[in-house]
Amino acid sequence: MMAQAALIRRAAPVLACIGLLAVWQLAALALKNDSFPTAIEAIRAVPDILGDKESLINILASLRRMAIGFGVAVLVSIPLGLLMGRSRGVAAFFNPLLMVIYPVPKAALMPIIMLWLGVGDITKTLVIFLGVSLPVIYHSFEGAKAVEEKMLWSGAAMGLLPAQRLVRIVLPAALPEILTGCRTGLVLALITMITSEMIARQSGAGNILFNALDMGQYDTVFAMIIIVGAMGICLDAIFEKVRARLVRWSEPQFDMPLSFS
Amino acid sequence: MTVVPARSSEWVRPVTSQEPASAIIEIDRVSQVFQTSARKDHLALSEISLTIEEGAFVSILGPSGCGKSTLLYIVGGFVRPTSGTATIKGHAIAGPGPDRGPVFQEFALFPWKTVLGNVMYGPRQQGVHAAEAEAQSRALIEMVGLKGYENFYPKELSGGMKQRVALARTLAYHPEVLLMDEPFGALDAHTRTRLQNDLLNIWERDRKTVLFVTHSVDEAVFLSDKVVMMSKSPGRIRQVIDIDLPRPRRRNELLLDPRYQKYVVDIERMFDESDEAGSVS
Repeated sequence: MMAQAALIRRAAPVLACIGLLAVWQLAALALKNDSFPTAIEAIRAVPDILGDKESLINILASLRRMAIGFGVAVLVSIPLGLLMGRSRGVAAFFNPLLMVIYPVPKAALMPIIMLWLGVGDITKTLVIFLGVSLPVIYHSFEGAKAVEEKMLWSGAAMGLLPAQRLVRIVLPAALPEILTGCRTGLVLALITMITSEMIARQSGAGNILFNALDMGQYDTVFAMIIIVGAMGICLDAIFEKVRARLVRWSEPQFDMPLSFS
Repeated sequence: MTVVPARSSEWVRPVTSQEPASAIIEIDRVSQVFQTSARKDHLALSEISLTIEEGAFVSILGPSGCGKSTLLYIVGGFVRPTSGTATIKGHAIAGPGPDRGPVFQEFALFPWKTVLGNVMYGPRQQGVHAAEAEAQSRALIEMVGLKGYENFYPKELSGGMKQRVALARTLAYHPEVLLMDEPFGALDAHTRTRLQNDLLNIWERDRKTVLFVTHSVDEAVFLSDKVVMMSKSPGRIRQVIDIDLPRPRRRNELLLDPRYQKYVVDIERMFDESDEAGSVS
């Protein structure tokens, strides 16, 4: 029974993907539209892209910007969010700023940033940075705010100074919430990566996609969508592995306490 | 052949007739005002003065809202009193410190640490070498009855077990005073009884000073040398009662002891006679 359940759980995502592709295939066949290739045609174009050196360089350049934007955003946002969560003054200062930036689509800032910093890597990385920062700050803030006061008092009684409490109690206690923010941030990094390359065409995965669109190579367009989607799934899976390791102690499988006083 | 005194402290402690038992904590006219809304102030504690003697088990007993926990937090250094002073060994309490170890009703364990990790945290923070801290912590975990659970996470434990870990974690850094804030308040009756018994057994070994907040009359009488009765609105000390019952105390003997029963009945009656009748549960 257990093995069967595990098998279903493992097979489910694969079945979902196959189902999606099947619907796509049928829809494309039914519509018979030139700009809507079938799933099989799109999949056939994937090896062409991945086999092309130029395309690979483009995709790797995208991933590099994304990694830098994401990494820097996480490094800046977590400390900021934690400080905001534990200090009313810091929160009162940054909250209005963030409230202004939050609803603005980060891609909408691209043209302005491009005027200042050009169309190169810095602009695109900065946009990714902005996209990732806000959810990470927000979740770090919420996580830090929710840390039990008595837990901090316990630390204080052991002799931990305020800065040590922030690093050694607030950070680990808020980690599950922080990582939820990072996961959202990772998806946003991918989205802003593509949109930034759509606006500032020069290199990258988005560049291949929109160039193909301009030239009417629709199988390449859809193949790129598949590649970007696959990248998203892989990154998320890797992140989830790391996350599960880091916050094993808070996972629901530990929710059943032993019955013993 | 040398003659060794029964208690080595008899050699050390200067015996002066003015100081019968040495006071470890002195609370002098402490008041606490909380701002409940923009215009309203709530007087949680009013002019509390209390002396706690070294090695005494003192309970603070009172209805909810009488400020008994606040008084404990002031001694812990977690809350600053609005006026008045609290001192430990003659030094004004300015903040938390390892000389006063809290045990909270909410356990407040570090959920990302195992049982062993939690208990070792204090000693490691104090600079005790890892191997030594681990050995001490394992012994403490065994003492609180959790041998075999060293590598469990708090989430895997029941409430009673968590409170045992919390007690071990606090004992691990050798505070001079234990500050217990309704530690068994969140536990079921059976678990509560077991923990009371175990706490007494542990306490009777080294007789640390304990300040124990509770709203249970039975619990206060069973555990304490002294019961501080408080009333609410504003929080004041009504009466301090010495509990003159023999130690070591065994629950099955004590419950049948007419002296124990009289203490419980008398204290309950005193609470009933006051204007907040029946508010002590």
